[in-house]
Amino acid sequence: MQELRCYAASGQLGYGIPKDSFNRGIKKRPHFIGADMGSIDVGPFHLGSGKMAPGKASAKRDLGLLLRASKKSEIPLIIGSAGTAGGKPHLLDTVEMVREISTEHGLHFRLAVIHAEIEKNLIKSALTKGRIRPCGPVPDLTAHEVDRSVRIVAQMGTEPLISALGAGAEVVVAGRACDTSIFAAIPQMKGYDRGLFMHMAKIIECTSICAEPGGRDPIMGYLYQDSFVLESQHPLRKCTAVSVAAHSLYEQADPYRFSEPGGILDLSNAQFEEIDEWRTKVWGAQWIPADEYTVKLEGACWVGVRCIVIGGVTDPIMIAQIDKIAEQVPELVRELLSEEIPPETYHLNFRIYGLNGVTGPLRPRGTFVPQEVFIMVDVVAKDAETAKTVCGVAKQNLLHFGYPGRLATGGNLAFPFTPPEILVGDTYRFNVYHLMEVDDPLALFPIELHDI
Amino acid sequence: MKLRELARVIRSKNAGPFLLTLDVLFPTIEAFERVRDSGVINVDTISKLYGVPPEGIKIIPYPPGLAFKITMVRPIVSGDIVDTDVYGAQQHTPLLDLIVPLYRST
Repeated sequence: MQELRCYAASGQLGYGIPKDSFNRGIKKRPHFIGADMGSIDVGPFHLGSGKMAPGKASAKRDLGLLLRASKKSEIPLIIGSAGTAGGKPHLLDTVEMVREISTEHGLHFRLAVIHAEIEKNLIKSALTKGRIRPCGPVPDLTAHEVDRSVRIVAQMGTEPLISALGAGAEVVVAGRACDTSIFAAIPQMKGYDRGLFMHMAKIIECTSICAEPGGRDPIMGYLYQDSFVLESQHPLRKCTAVSVAAHSLYEQADPYRFSEPGGILDLSNAQFEEIDEWRTKVWGAQWIPADEYTVKLEGACWVGVRCIVIGGVTDPIMIAQIDKIAEQVPELVRELLSEEIPPETYHLNFRIYGLNGVTGPLRPRGTFVPQEVFIMVDVVAKDAETAKTVCGVAKQNLLHFGYPGRLATGGNLAFPFTPPEILVGDTYRFNVYHLMEVDDPLALFPIELHDI
Repeated sequence: MKLRELARVIRSKNAGPFLLTLDVLFPTIEAFERVRDSGVINVDTISKLYGVPPEGIKIIPYPPGLAFKITMVRPIVSGDIVDTDVYGAQQHTPLLDLIVPLYRST
């Protein structure tokens, strides 16, 4: 089998692909370019709101770089998880940018747009047939939660991408896709060993993070009949045997087994060997086909509107009893507003940075008293007006709270600017993270073809 | 000796929104084996350090990467109202000063 050069340009398209590294790889004549644009790591906001994480200018810059290179080299370009969360609005915004770039640069190609937002009725029907189960430590899915979700997407496997490429697509913009699908589709079409190319895809979807030192530069995967070789396109990033092996740990629960649509990738027998200072050869991973084909569903529901107040405290007398103050002030606020805004209709929480704002209340902590702490009054309520009102009352009562031993009667908080209330806006929560059995890996993901 | 003096990477990150995963990577096979043989990375210790129940903790030594993986159920789902670390990227600190004994306690 011939060498197949699989070029992973970005693991987070839209934050600036390093141009020199990218062009270095293009000169090596890859057979295709792939880029991942999304992730669930960014939290539930983007999935829920329909918004894209990167700004338009940087997203368009990256897309433009890839589209022009793909056209010039006459190789396919595959973009997965368009617009961060890969739902319909994300996909449409990404396609809109692709169209703008094509017009601006006079590019013409066959574009495939693959949808990944799933109709709720379809999910509820699968639910009644017992074909949906939790993915990890998640409660069972209910029809109520499906209805509460603003949007539910499914991670596509390689099949819809293969179908789009088979229909002559030169550029594929896919909604939510399994990260590996982007880089596994073409190797699968060409008949390479599935264990090998899935392992390769698993590594290159994060570009040069598997190198030492790791980074965001594009990476080339050279795929052969019985092995693959990894090469970062940044001259200082070395893909060593240990750095590549260690990448299996990254953002994964188990470094030996990865669940993918249609099977499990087993790395128990994977071998890593440096062929020179920069490149590592890998082989030995096995693909274990699953009895049932499953896709992962991701959904987010709206939980309210967030407003915050931020301020600093330097007074050591106050800092020494800040835990108690952070309990007493919210109690006071709830009582003050109890008739107008019932306490069960909003959420009020003080985050105290410098103390346990990051580690949270569970973790044991030492006796160190910080010189300053940063307080964030965090309110989530049913609408912006309510959130702002609760925030304002909490701010004022914290500012003038009379704790024992108080000497600083001017006020308890240093505000860095005004207004100290900041409206954050709509906030969401993940409420679907489940596996759904499907009969046809294509049926959930409609493909549109456009000649641009 | 502290874990931070032996490891080359001590990091935390989400493995999906419901799991937190900690990776401890060593620069040499000797350092990896020393920590492995000390038995210091165990479910009880992690449960105490993180204030999470032992049932939700899984520890996997990974010799090809000279590493340990520790995966636990997140006490709060990523991005929930009271979450403090959406990416789970700053939850590694309790491991830094873990004392690695020279000999395994029996």
